[in-house]
Amino acid sequence: MSEPQRTSSQGHSRNKSVTKSRPRSSTKGPLDVDDDPLTASSTPKSNLSPAQSAPRRTSRSPGARLPVTQVGQPQAKDFSFLLKPEIYHPLPPQNIPAAFRNSDKQPGTEVPLEELLERGHLRAAAIAAVQELTGSGATRPPDPTDSKRIFELLYTRLACLTLIDATQVAAQEVKALEDLNNTRLYVDEATGEHLVPWELRVLNVRLQALGFGDMRRSIMSYHDLARESRSRIAKATNDEERQLWKARLHQLGVKVAGALVEMNDAAGAAAHLKGLHDNGDGKMALSKALVWLQLGDVDNARRCAAAHGDAETVGDIILALCDMADTKYEAALERWEALREESQDEMVGVNAAVCLLYLGRLQEGREIMEELINSGFSSHTLLFNLSTVYELCAEKNRNLKMALTERTAAMAEGPAGWEKQTADFKL
Amino acid sequence: MSHQRYPSHDAIKEPHSISLKQQTLAPPLSKSTTLEPSPASLAYQTKGSTNPSPFLLSPILNLPFSFGSAYTGETFSCTLCANNDLPSSSRAIRDVKIEAEMKTPSVGRAQKLELKTQHGEGPRDLEPGETVQGVVGFDLKEEGNHVLAVTVSYYEVSETSGRTRTFRKLYQFICKSSLIVRTKMSPLPALPSGRRRWVVEAQLENCSEDVMQLETVGMSVEDGLRWKGCNWEVAGAKGPVVKPGEVEQVCFVVETVDEGGVMKALPDGRLVFGVLEISWRGEMGNRGYLSTGKLGTKVRT
Repeated sequence: MSEPQRTSSQGHSRNKSVTKSRPRSSTKGPLDVDDDPLTASSTPKSNLSPAQSAPRRTSRSPGARLPVTQVGQPQAKDFSFLLKPEIYHPLPPQNIPAAFRNSDKQPGTEVPLEELLERGHLRAAAIAAVQELTGSGATRPPDPTDSKRIFELLYTRLACLTLIDATQVAAQEVKALEDLNNTRLYVDEATGEHLVPWELRVLNVRLQALGFGDMRRSIMSYHDLARESRSRIAKATNDEERQLWKARLHQLGVKVAGALVEMNDAAGAAAHLKGLHDNGDGKMALSKALVWLQLGDVDNARRCAAAHGDAETVGDIILALCDMADTKYEAALERWEALREESQDEMVGVNAAVCLLYLGRLQEGREIMEELINSGFSSHTLLFNLSTVYELCAEKNRNLKMALTERTAAMAEGPAGWEKQTADFKL
Repeated sequence: MSHQRYPSHDAIKEPHSISLKQQTLAPPLSKSTTLEPSPASLAYQTKGSTNPSPFLLSPILNLPFSFGSAYTGETFSCTLCANNDLPSSSRAIRDVKIEAEMKTPSVGRAQKLELKTQHGEGPRDLEPGETVQGVVGFDLKEEGNHVLAVTVSYYEVSETSGRTRTFRKLYQFICKSSLIVRTKMSPLPALPSGRRRWVVEAQLENCSEDVMQLETVGMSVEDGLRWKGCNWEVAGAKGPVVKPGEVEQVCFVVETVDEGGVMKALPDGRLVFGVLEISWRGEMGNRGYLSTGKLGTKVRT
């Protein structure tokens, strides 16, 4: 599996239901002889081995009958099975507060996808991507063989879904991709390159694991991708390419740790992170500390603070979190306050406010969070925490929350996402 | 936590000028971010490297959801807020006081809880829209129904008159068992010096919904006895992580200090060793502590 693009494209094809079961992984056995009469006649360039038979579509791709192709000409892959409207779920606006639904900023249907992303209309972008894929909007659907555009749109769709808290929807829709290790379908014979962009392949791992309810599978799939990255590092012809694959390999390592956390194996995640390269920007130290805190191991988390590398603030953040875990809220508050003077970081402000609430100084915490809102911050956590404080502050807190939706809706659009959901405001 | 508002103690039927709100204060959660595939996706906005994206966890702290389970051995912590909900300053609110009590399943009388506020325990005046906040804590030791009873009293002044008003709110919650401890005591051959020895084995089962990391297990033994652990601390290791549903086995040796030492025996003829004490940390460092009842063994005749 180390280089899926090179493995032979043998194997009998199976007709199976598309949506329910986990895709069959591309294993081969001695029984998998090349028994397709169509491919027998179209062996392309090499006669070294029968394994290098010509491309042929699997029975999974609908469109069924294969056109007879010229000998030696790689056949364009048909991805029409990703253009079917029934794969994609509607995204109704019920969970969007009225302040956003009725805002002048809501884009019209004529706004192009790129602009939607730029302005942070992620739900609209997810809808627009599917309209283009299925041809249900103003534009015609992409050519079923235009893999570049199809996967671009699909990636936009799935990424946007995860960002608007619709990961479960994405986990269902991603099943349509089936097995990305299926080299017959997803690898371009001419170049040996995987047709699916790297980002989508990585995103696919977690979403399919969620969709099929098997997180363990994601660990294996990440390792498959890591193996491919390693072989690409080894084969890289220039430094730029090498650095790219090295960065990808590192990211996969971090993803594995995240998958372990999602499997409730924080101890495994901690052990795994220990083995990863730390480039000294503080991210690794912070990740490790967070896993230790998840486990309740404050001593080990505190030790990570010393290993912050070049990022001194990271050390202070870790120590402040550790103080909070030890319920030393006074000490933690001092650290958060010091950090707040250094920089205007949303996380630091939110955490200082949480700290104040635990100290019985809710009013000050509320002021800090409202200040952050005034400065244009609007993360899920900030909105959720401030809404919680509003619930504590008044019997008729709905008005306060509604006013908060108005203020957030009036904020400038941006790629970080503009539209919020009712759940963010505890409405 | 379900709650119920008691009828106010005073006869006046008009609504109260003050509202009471509560929120349990479990340790704040370090937020699990959703997937972060692009720069657009950061859990929060930052300039530096304070966001470990693409890692799944991020250091921004989410207040706990209002629901959640309470477990024995942990500290129940809760914030109480009394708010002046009057629209304008038609009536002044003076001397607002919050009192909290906890009713546990076994103890008949409620235990008074200390309310920690920024301004001390004294009563406070509240302007419209203002809030007085306090935090109470209580070590949960028993399984079953607990009731947090909160009484708010204040003095309401209108242009012509003033009166003291009081209301009481009850918050009920169920405390579940976090750790089941099963023990077994067996005699060991006496030492040549004549000291008597026993081995105490215990199985600790995590029956909560969260991972716990055991910190210390130890015994507190009766006079004339001493004990020795045979667990991770002997190897200088950290306590094991016990996931929900998992069981950790621990073991101690208890021996008499003096040769053939005297031991305390219960009326039913059992020998008493002492109690087992277990401490652990949960998610975000949440502390837990539990001690068993008196452990002992039957005297063999």
